[in-house]
Amino acid sequence: MSVQRQGRKVAIVGVGYSDVGRNTGLSERHHAAQAAVRALEDAGLQAKDIDGASTWGGDAVDFGWMIGFDDLRWSLNVGVAPAFITPAYHAAQAVAMGHADTVMAFRIMMQQPPSAALASGAAMLGEPSMVDAQFRWPYGNFSPVQWAGLLMNRYMHETGATEEHFARFAEVQRSYAQRNPDALLRDPLSAEDYLAKPYVTKPLRVLDCDYPCDSGSAVIFTTEERARDLRQPMVLVEASALSAIRDMNFELLPDMVRTSPKHCGDLLWSRTDLRPENVSTAHLYDGFSIITLQWLEGLGLCEPGGAAQFVMDGETRLGGKVPTNTDGGAINVGRRHGANFCIEAVRQLRGQCGDRQVAGADVSVWANAVGMFSGAMLLTKG
Amino acid sequence: MDTPLPPAPPDDPLTTFFWEAARRHELHIQRCQSCGTYIHMPRPICRNCQSFDLAGEQVSGRATLYSWTQTYKPFHPYFVERVPYVIATVTLVEQPGLQFMCNLIGIDQANVDAEARMGMDLEVTFQDLGDGYVVPQFKPVGVVL
Repeated sequence: MSVQRQGRKVAIVGVGYSDVGRNTGLSERHHAAQAAVRALEDAGLQAKDIDGASTWGGDAVDFGWMIGFDDLRWSLNVGVAPAFITPAYHAAQAVAMGHADTVMAFRIMMQQPPSAALASGAAMLGEPSMVDAQFRWPYGNFSPVQWAGLLMNRYMHETGATEEHFARFAEVQRSYAQRNPDALLRDPLSAEDYLAKPYVTKPLRVLDCDYPCDSGSAVIFTTEERARDLRQPMVLVEASALSAIRDMNFELLPDMVRTSPKHCGDLLWSRTDLRPENVSTAHLYDGFSIITLQWLEGLGLCEPGGAAQFVMDGETRLGGKVPTNTDGGAINVGRRHGANFCIEAVRQLRGQCGDRQVAGADVSVWANAVGMFSGAMLLTKG
Repeated sequence: MDTPLPPAPPDDPLTTFFWEAARRHELHIQRCQSCGTYIHMPRPICRNCQSFDLAGEQVSGRATLYSWTQTYKPFHPYFVERVPYVIATVTLVEQPGLQFMCNLIGIDQANVDAEARMGMDLEVTFQDLGDGYVVPQFKPVGVVL
């Protein structure tokens, strides 16, 4: 039986980044403006064509006025959520429902304080719930890198994955980054180089973490009908899903090996007639490398518990079963907080990825976050 | 120079019971007085039966190790001289999936892979950070600190 679609068919018609880098000295507004102008240019649209905006980072209404969008028929500021998928998901929904016709979704993320500033007391990481933080801070638990260590260690315990598997993961991602001019980290990296790095939160090392930077990303959603008249090859939103399975305390997840990506993947596949085996490329969040492994399994792209071996066997490389994070991932392109996975999926489906292009790519999945919440979107070549 | 303590718990009526019990070297966890469900971290409502009748109750202080990570980077001045240390999630024996986050202490940090075994039996102990700031911690059963 075929899945019934609700609302208008949605396309992605423009993508753009700001001048992403370490401590750029540019404001959130400046990053938003740069990303927006480049996404408009990519699409062949004018600022006045945009009638809806969403963002995490800064303010959608502020951006819309500043950049010169039309009067907004729809806008949304996202708080703590599963990264870029949240403004993107809701932008696509607004277009599908006809609340707006052409919506720009942003993720603006400024580099966080260096750990030396944290250790000296000169800076403090923000907390979504100060009330819950009282049960973390006295234990020296301040940073997401600490729950990531818990997830990774439990995953290794249950699946038999080893540090060598994560070393291979880092090597594969860097090999993609070397083919991506947008990547910030492009030097050669071997599995041995990875293993030579010190632990941050054993068993997790610095090369398991996304690379902190200032970034602005923008993606334009409109109707399939309008997209036909625009500049780029057609990329369509086939299905999308958001999931939330508990509150904001990652450390207390009772099953750290199967968190919300499994729930989210089940929702996603229930909304399309496509199947995991149809996926040409996957673009799976790597705020920490363990997250990509959870997505490979949660989306059914490999066997449950088999993601580490899947990577070891080369199945995520070019020519493998599911080329994954072909831009090099946020570990190498810098923390664009999920938006890079959307943008790279779009570029793969357009055939614009140069020597990292997956031949004949026609179905791409991108996904963000892990643990208590997550989101995923399935895109097809029009 | 005195090293500042970690940020103190806020003045929060929902969690006062926990910190007052810790000062008496007792581990108390919020429990629904209607259906008996334990809830951590404390909340104003029971997620099982939606009762608002909740109170802290003493628990056995026994748990099993669910996962751990050894932190090498301090994120606060208090921990600069204390790295590496182990952050752990433990499952309290009172209820399946009743997770509690703490440090695993009473182990050799240099031998953490051998000494921190998933599923191992643990017991609560109490650590005075200073100024009456006492935190519940877990250690392997029988280890004398």
